[in-house]
Amino acid sequence: MGDAQVVRLLVFRVGSLTCAAAAEVVREILPRLDTTRIPGAPPVVAGLVNVRGTLVTVVEGWKALGQPEPAARTEGGTTVLLQIGGGQKTIGFTVDEVVDMLAVAEETLEPRQALPGLDPKLVRAVGRRRDQLFVVLDTDALLGPVLTT
Amino acid sequence: MSHSVLVCDDAIFMRTMISDILAQAGFEVVGEAETGVQAVDKYKQLKPDLVTMDIVMPDMGGIDAVREITKFDPDAKILMCSAMGQQALVVEAIQAGAKDFVVKPFQPSRVLEAVQRVLG
Amino acid sequence: MDLSQYAELFLAESREHLSACNQLLLEWERHPAAPEPVGGIFRAVHTVKGMAATMGYARVADLAHRMENLLDHLRRGAAGRRAGDDVLQLLFRATDALEKAIQVSAAGREQDADVVGIVAELDRAVQRFAPDTAPRHAPPSPPSPPSPPPEVSAPVVGPGRRVRVTLRPEAPLKGPRALIVLKRAAGLGTVSQVQPQPAALEAEDFEGQFSFWLAGPAPADLVVATLAAAGDVEEVRVDDDAAPVARAETGAPLESGKARHIRVDLRRLDALMDQIGELVTARGRLNQLAAERRDPMIDDLAIQISRLSADLQAEIIQARMTPVWQVFDRFPRLVRDLARDLGKPVAFRVEGKEIELDRAILDELGDPLVHLLRNAVDHGLETPADRRRAGKKPEGEIVLAAVRERASVAISIADDGRGIDRARILAKAQAEGLLDAHVETLSDDQLLRVLARPGFSTAAAVTSVSGRGVGIDVAMTKIRALGGTIDIRTEVGKGTTFVLRLPVTLAIVRALIAAVGRERYALPLTYVAETVEFGVVPITTVEGREAMVLRDRVVPLVHLRQLLGVNGDQPPARRPVIVIEMGERRTGLIVDGMLGQQEIVVKAFDAPRGTLPVFSGATIMGDGVPALILDAGGLL
Repeated sequence: MGDAQVVRLLVFRVGSLTCAAAAEVVREILPRLDTTRIPGAPPVVAGLVNVRGTLVTVVEGWKALGQPEPAARTEGGTTVLLQIGGGQKTIGFTVDEVVDMLAVAEETLEPRQALPGLDPKLVRAVGRRRDQLFVVLDTDALLGPVLTT
Repeated sequence: MSHSVLVCDDAIFMRTMISDILAQAGFEVVGEAETGVQAVDKYKQLKPDLVTMDIVMPDMGGIDAVREITKFDPDAKILMCSAMGQQALVVEAIQAGAKDFVVKPFQPSRVLEAVQRVLG
Repeated sequence: MDLSQYAELFLAESREHLSACNQLLLEWERHPAAPEPVGGIFRAVHTVKGMAATMGYARVADLAHRMENLLDHLRRGAAGRRAGDDVLQLLFRATDALEKAIQVSAAGREQDADVVGIVAELDRAVQRFAPDTAPRHAPPSPPSPPSPPPEVSAPVVGPGRRVRVTLRPEAPLKGPRALIVLKRAAGLGTVSQVQPQPAALEAEDFEGQFSFWLAGPAPADLVVATLAAAGDVEEVRVDDDAAPVARAETGAPLESGKARHIRVDLRRLDALMDQIGELVTARGRLNQLAAERRDPMIDDLAIQISRLSADLQAEIIQARMTPVWQVFDRFPRLVRDLARDLGKPVAFRVEGKEIELDRAILDELGDPLVHLLRNAVDHGLETPADRRRAGKKPEGEIVLAAVRERASVAISIADDGRGIDRARILAKAQAEGLLDAHVETLSDDQLLRVLARPGFSTAAAVTSVSGRGVGIDVAMTKIRALGGTIDIRTEVGKGTTFVLRLPVTLAIVRALIAAVGRERYALPLTYVAETVEFGVVPITTVEGREAMVLRDRVVPLVHLRQLLGVNGDQPPARRPVIVIEMGERRTGLIVDGMLGQQEIVVKAFDAPRGTLPVFSGATIMGDGVPALILDAGGLL
């Protein structure tokens, strides 16, 4: 370790799916915040939230990843703020829980592969943690199209 | 006690830069003037230890301001701020009573040297 | 020394001087024999030169220097002060080139500043004056050797000692420096036989070495020390004492002290504004809490904080206010150039220059105004021949005026030209299918909407407004984005006036908070004309749209529940209608209820794809939850 080829990842769970995002695009991890609906926005958009005075558009994780709607919205849930477009914009992404912060050697990640029920364009790679598969998401591909240019 | 300075130049840019240079070196910029008339008025009002004086200014030029100020206070310590190519005007200013001069573009070290010389 | 911190100040101040140059050149053009403009232009260019040299922008400094040379000749009356048109045009071009060079240099691309051509032109112009001109800055009086001070009355024994002084090779202005050395020497004794001649010294006609005889009792080491301290002195030798060689010392004792003045960075002002916004939000929360708790202590505190933050807010808004001349001042030049190109004499007047607007708004206003002014000169005004035929004076008139209204500033661009022929526009619009065939006349409002349609080209068929569409489209979009409006008034044969109305400040506005279902929306009060109760006034249908008749005017209605897709819950039986107004247009918005008025901080957000185009931003309510701000322009 300590070598150049280490990738830092934030691992989180959305429905039955364990996913990861590159740690360098994660700006903040927040509890679920009250959202304000944005009329006309696509259904994956949960709405607008107030992050210490800045307005951030939040995407509903389960909808974006085609997971079933959580049976009952329990208290809790987490909003991960992600930077997209090379840090140009910040967007919120709701997840059920944040699982771990990992530093893994890049070669342990398998390049993107087809996964059942998930658009291969959104998958950057697949990794393994405690014998469990996780999907490294291409957050730009997933969230970029939500916002207008 | 730090020396008080009156900075005269019609350009805010120049006043800012001179004031910054002097303030960083511990001088107290007590006033700024953007015309010759203001320079004379403020000199009389503030009686600063040092004046930096631009040559070309509206309403009353720097040289006339030097004449007026030295008429009021023969010991006034005035440092002319000149551009290249103004030697004749600088000569005139020195004959009018200015103690020294610096040439734009300013280098802080040269400005401070000149200021020290003037304050003697 | 890090100069980058001064780049913005340099740019801002240079622009002011360039603007002054342009104003003065225009004045000079109108009154070629007036003595004042050339002096002012000289000073402005000279100041730019000094600043540019300090920033290290050699090309800008060089160009300014050449301009200064030419101006100096003109100033000294070489050309009899009366500036020829060719010289004026050259100075206009040079000012433009200077502006460009400043811009690219300040942007860090000095190498892109192309000044070679214009510098050559300026030099050629100077050449034409050169033969009959005295050298510039001729010394005012033949310099006499500094007279010995009378109080030095030591016995003069011969000429004294020979003193040789060598100035540093890199010393600037060696002549004046030599004069300072001589002045210091005169303080020590009697100076004579200065070599080279003082006149040569002052004309810089020497290599940095000079000598003189000094008679007086001062010991050699004092002479050396005194003269070496005159600045830029490399060496002082006193003949009867070959040894002493002194080098000037440097170094400044550092005493602590502080400047009294402060300067505020523009970005800092923006950050401050954001924080005041936060404070206003927190104040709202506190007010809410005070209302809930009914605790007099909290109440008092809330009132006090309200007052303090209101004062603070007013101060900071005031600090952002910028007079419109900062943008308007470049227009006389623009109009003049256009008028010249098009061969249409124009009298251009600017009124209300001192009216202030939030800097953020003012910065965005330049482009739309340029479009509208171009239109006015190009299409609004007739040719001089046409004007004569119409019984008007051949010179057209354009007035750009700013007027403060209640919470907004109205900026009008009025020409006394041919006006817009409504019948022709109507025919054209109907032919393009923009309007129903049964529309018989165009109101000002409809006219504007037609003209502002992207791509509505009237081409040659409607010469009076050919190409107008493009400019108005751009201007309209920009003004709308700033929360403003455009109106048009036009009369055939009399002229056309565009009126832009802009909020004085963008950041904090008073808004009505409306409830729609369980959602809240803010509506800036600037656009709220009145509120009435739905169902109390007669409802009718106009062109298939629901409308109400309010004091003999038909006001179309919009159900915000439907428009915004709010579902669930029955709407309450009694519902208010908020009538919004922009120029002549009115629309009634049916909402579920009113939650009061408050000051809101307007914030931008990244709108998701598909977001309805009826929001101008969002704000954070007292409870910390965002609410969207309805855009009157988008709703009308």
